[in-house]
Amino acid sequence: MKIGTHITFGTLFVIIAVSLAPTLPLTPRVSAAPSAGATPAQTRTNSVASQTNAPPKVVEPSPQKVKNRRPLTGAELYSINCNRCHSERYPTERTAAQWKTIMLHMQVRANLPVSQARLILKYLQDNSGR
Amino acid sequence: MKKRNWIPGIVGAGCAASLLFSMRAPAEVSDADFKALQDAVKKLSGKVQAMQQTNGLQEKLHEEDVQKINELQDKLSQTQKAAATAEQKTAAVAGQAQTQPVLGPPIDEATVNHNFMMLGDAEFQWTRVQGEHPSFLLADFAPIFLYRGGDNVLFEAGFDTTLANNAPNSPGVGTSFDLSFAQLDYVMNDYMTLAVGQLLLPLCTYTQRGAGWLNKIPDDPLAVDSLLPGTGAGAQLLGAIPIGSGGEFFNYAVYGVNGPSSADGTANAGALDLGGNVGVRSDGVTANLHANLSGGARAGIFLPFAPHYDFEAGVSGQSGEWDNQGTHLWSAGVLDVALHLGSSFEAKGEYILTRFGSDDAGLVKQWGYFGQVGYKLAGLNLNAPLINNVELVGRYDDVHDGLGTHTRRFTMGYVYYITSTFLFEGDYEIFRSNDSTVPHNQLTFQLSYGF
Repeated sequence: MKIGTHITFGTLFVIIAVSLAPTLPLTPRVSAAPSAGATPAQTRTNSVASQTNAPPKVVEPSPQKVKNRRPLTGAELYSINCNRCHSERYPTERTAAQWKTIMLHMQVRANLPVSQARLILKYLQDNSGR
Repeated sequence: MKKRNWIPGIVGAGCAASLLFSMRAPAEVSDADFKALQDAVKKLSGKVQAMQQTNGLQEKLHEEDVQKINELQDKLSQTQKAAATAEQKTAAVAGQAQTQPVLGPPIDEATVNHNFMMLGDAEFQWTRVQGEHPSFLLADFAPIFLYRGGDNVLFEAGFDTTLANNAPNSPGVGTSFDLSFAQLDYVMNDYMTLAVGQLLLPLCTYTQRGAGWLNKIPDDPLAVDSLLPGTGAGAQLLGAIPIGSGGEFFNYAVYGVNGPSSADGTANAGALDLGGNVGVRSDGVTANLHANLSGGARAGIFLPFAPHYDFEAGVSGQSGEWDNQGTHLWSAGVLDVALHLGSSFEAKGEYILTRFGSDDAGLVKQWGYFGQVGYKLAGLNLNAPLINNVELVGRYDDVHDGLGTHTRRFTMGYVYYITSTFLFEGDYEIFRSNDSTVPHNQLTFQLSYGF
């Protein structure tokens, strides 16, 4: 059993060492997402729906395959990842700074890729309430 | 001829008479009448003069009115021009607004208050257990406090505050305030995050994603509740790596925690305490109850096919000693899967296997699983507001405790979405167990709110 424990923490140490190595390639930082992915009309609809306290209307996306097409936008990644556990919250519900805190929390909780979380955050901040 | 000579004479006599008559008429107007007539003429002439003066004044007023009208017309034309100009400018601005994206407000990093947030959920239940009195159950308030320090550091802590009656024949109520988890997260790079503290363990996915308003059924799965520790004090490395352009990714978590412990210090099977080892003993000594920690890991893959169409699978495990003497291991393995087919259909399940050694029962083998499905009636496109807000859910539970008890549970229920985060849930649970203390049937209603 001690051997097993040593192996576990040895593995942890190796992973930390590798992660801190400067040669580890990083994905390029996204300075500006190309598109929020939501039209102003959609944003307005969400905003009105939020004000009326109605549940989000289920918008069925076309089930076209994700593979072999352009990179996904933040709005698409938001729809893909967040709806797995809970209904999608309206971007207007929070401020841009609040979304930054929440996305850091959800990135850890759902163990999302940082690059995807960054695009989702950009979408939420671009359409945030205040 | 003689008769005709009379006619000129008669005519001449008439003329002479008329002249005489006409010469006598003026002589008939008296002086008084003449004066009266003269006065009347004077009065009339005075009136005429007064009317002429009045008419002059009116003409002046008329001229002034005409001037004012002209001035007003000038002002009106100027106002119309100004309005037309403003309308053109408004149209131009609207055009620009349509062509340019609406940018959000700048992020004020200096505003510390924006780095602190409270999320969480609250629940309130009513339950009727077969053979027992129905009751409103305790209210549960479970806030999560977040504090973000910059771009890469987050402290998060969740609490569970509940209220319950004291033991039978004891007055009053008791309030519990439990620390669900408290961890410090540091995003080291795009592929690795370090989390330390009282961690939500990545054994299965239900524990990490099982907040009250996320559960579509008020009660947790039996196997998750009874066979796995929900939290552990220790350190964890986790991260995710994209493996495609369509949102696919692989994620992992590796951790070391204090692990399970013995409730009474012995190595008897009944003393296994899954969440009891937090590094500080009740006698105040800062030490683990046993010598070595537990290690665990999870590896998962997420494959989206389209928004709301995805498949996720993961395998996780943990192993370490649990008794004070360190002579027995507790180990667990979990397989978790989840499937979404559109925004209306969801299915997920977990299979859990645990083993631990004991002094009195030898090697105890436990296992259990659950499968859960949900379908939102909005997928039927009935355009009925009440029906569109309903989701039907069902779950099957099965758990063997390794000590002779086998319990199964069928759960059928619904979720009514008052809003996307305010839920009214109800379910009926049917138990089948060889343990007589397990209730047979149970009806539960719950209001839950996520914030």
